[in-house]
Amino acid sequence: MADALTIPKGHRFAADRALALISLKRRLAYKTTWLFSITLGGWQLLVGIVVWQNIIGAGSVGGYDWDAMRAYLVIGFVTSTIAWGSADWQMAGRILDGLVSIDMTKPVDFQRARAAEYIGGAVSVVPTAVLGAVAAWLLFDPQDPATPLAAVLTAVSVLLIFPMAFGIGYLSILLCFWTRRYLGIQWAKDGFVSFFSGMMVPLSLMPGWLQALSWCLPFPHFTTTPASIYLGRVDALEALGLIAAEAAWVVVMWFGARLIWRRAIQKVTIHGG
Amino acid sequence: MPILEARSLSKRFRRADKASGFKGALKHLVQRKYKNFTAVDAIDLEIEPGESVAYVGPNGAGKSTTVKLLTGILKPTEGTVRVMGRDPHTERIANAHDIGVLFGQRTQLWWDLPVEESLKLLKHMYGVPEADYKARIEKFDELLGLGEFMPALARTLSLGQRMRADLACALIHDPKMVYLDEPTIGLDISVKDRLRAFLRQLVDDGTTLLLTSHDLADIEEVCERIVVIDEGRIAYDGPIEQLKAHYITTKAVDLVLDGPADVGSLAEKFPHYEWSAGEAASEVVVTYESARFTTAEVLGDVTAHLRPRDLSLSEPSIEDVIRRLYAGELTK
Repeated sequence: MADALTIPKGHRFAADRALALISLKRRLAYKTTWLFSITLGGWQLLVGIVVWQNIIGAGSVGGYDWDAMRAYLVIGFVTSTIAWGSADWQMAGRILDGLVSIDMTKPVDFQRARAAEYIGGAVSVVPTAVLGAVAAWLLFDPQDPATPLAAVLTAVSVLLIFPMAFGIGYLSILLCFWTRRYLGIQWAKDGFVSFFSGMMVPLSLMPGWLQALSWCLPFPHFTTTPASIYLGRVDALEALGLIAAEAAWVVVMWFGARLIWRRAIQKVTIHGG
Repeated sequence: MPILEARSLSKRFRRADKASGFKGALKHLVQRKYKNFTAVDAIDLEIEPGESVAYVGPNGAGKSTTVKLLTGILKPTEGTVRVMGRDPHTERIANAHDIGVLFGQRTQLWWDLPVEESLKLLKHMYGVPEADYKARIEKFDELLGLGEFMPALARTLSLGQRMRADLACALIHDPKMVYLDEPTIGLDISVKDRLRAFLRQLVDDGTTLLLTSHDLADIEEVCERIVVIDEGRIAYDGPIEQLKAHYITTKAVDLVLDGPADVGSLAEKFPHYEWSAGEAASEVVVTYESARFTTAEVLGDVTAHLRPRDLSLSEPSIEDVIRRLYAGELTK
C-alpha cells in the first residue's frame, strides 16, 4: 500500500477514469452481444412472470401474493442484470493466459485497476436494467414501494450490489492463481449467487436452516435485501441494518481480496516469453 | 551506481510430476507429486545507467524468468534485486513507473480497440503530460511509422505493426530502464531493420536497455555487452567485442578449385593449417589461427600451390561462439 502512495493522487484517478472508459468502450465494441444481453434479460423476466403467475394464482406463496411477486421479479431482474454484468471471465482469462504479467508492469494497483474496469463495464448494463425495469413497470404494473423511505433505501441497496458483484467476481478470479482454471469456479459462483440470493426462488420458500445459512453469506443482498426493503417486509431500522451488513460485506471483500492478492502474486508462474 | 543490481538471484518452481495417460491423471488426483526445478540459479548482475545489455540463452535457459524477476512480476526464491534502488516486487508500482517492458509474445494492446486508445490509456496510467505525449507520438510515428495504424483495431494489425505499437506502449512514458523480451520475434527482415535502428537510437539517447533475443543480429546491432545464460546460470558476461576477441581465434578461407580437392595431400603440404572438405567435391576450407598467420600469408601459401577458381574469407560469427558456449565447449 505504501507503494501506491508514491504515485500522485491525480494520476491515479485519471488512470481509474481511463480504465473505466476503456472497459466501457470494449463492451460497446460488441454491440450485438450487448443488444442480445438486453433481449435475453427481458426474456428471462417474461418467463419468470408467466411461471410465478401460474404458481401463485389468486393466493400467495412464501408470503408473496401476485402483486408483491411481480415487484419481486422486476427487482430480481434489475439486480441479476447488475450481478451478471461483470466480465469476470475476461479478468480470469488474463490470469490464465499470463497477460497478468503485463498488468503487473503497469504503475497501477491491480485490484483498483480491475475495479475501475468493472465500473466501466457495469455502466454498460445500466441501460439494460433501467430500460427493462421501465418496460416491466409499464407492462406488469407491479406493487409500489411500501413507503417513500423504502424506495430510497431500496435504491441504496441496489447501488451497493455493484461493489458486491465486483467483490465476488474479483475474489473468484483470484482463485485462478491456484486452480489454473476458471470454468468450475464460475459455475460455482453463479450457482451460489442465483440460489442464495433468492434470484432463483425467494429465500422465504426455503427451509429455515437454509435461510439461516444464506444470511451468513453475502449473496442474499443481491435480491432478497432490496426486495424485502421495497415491499416493506422489513421496517426502516431493519432495512438500515441490512444495508449496513451489505456495506460491511463490500468492505470485508475488498480488504479480504487484498490479503488473498498478496498470496496470489507469489503463485505467479508464467513460463516462457 | 548501477541502475540495476541483482545478487544471488534464484527462482525455483514446483512442477507436477504426473505420469501420462488416464491412470497417471487419476493417480495424481489422489497422490500429488511435485518436482522442483530451478529456472534461475544464483545470478549476479549489475547494469550501469545507459548500458545496452543483451541477455541471451537457449530456450528454457531462464531468460524470460530473469526478466520477470527484474521487472517485479515474480518474487525471487532467493537473492535480491534493486532497480533504481527499489525492490521491484515489493515496490512494484513505483518501479513500474520508471521502467518500460515489452514481451514480444504477449501484447499490451487492448485487442478490440484502436491502437490510439491503448496509448491514451497508458498516458493516463503513467501521468504523461499532454505535450510530452504528443511529442512522443510524433517521434514514434517518424521512427516506427506508427501513424499509419493508430486508428486501426489492435486485432487487425500485422505482427510487425503490432510489435511496433507494443514498443510505443512500452516507451510512451520515457522510462529510464527498458526490458525487451524477444522484440523481433516473427518479424520480417525489413521490420527488424526498422526496429533495430529505433533501438540503436534509444540507446544513443541514453536509455538503459536489457534485450533478450534469439536473433543475434539484434544483439550485435543494438548492444555493447552480452550476458549468456544457460541452465539458469550466467555462462558469460562481458563486452561483445571481448567475447569475439576471446573466442573468435580462427579465420577460414573457402576455396573453389577446378577439379576435386585432395584434402589429405593439402594437409600434408600445409600442416600448420587445418583443412577440411567443402560442400562440393571441388571445395575445400582452410582454417588458420588469426594470431599466428595473416590472411595475406595464408592466401600467398595457398595460391602458390593451387589455382582456385574462386575464394571467400569467413570468420566464425557470434552465433557460432554462443552455440559453442551453450554446448559447454567454451568457458569464460
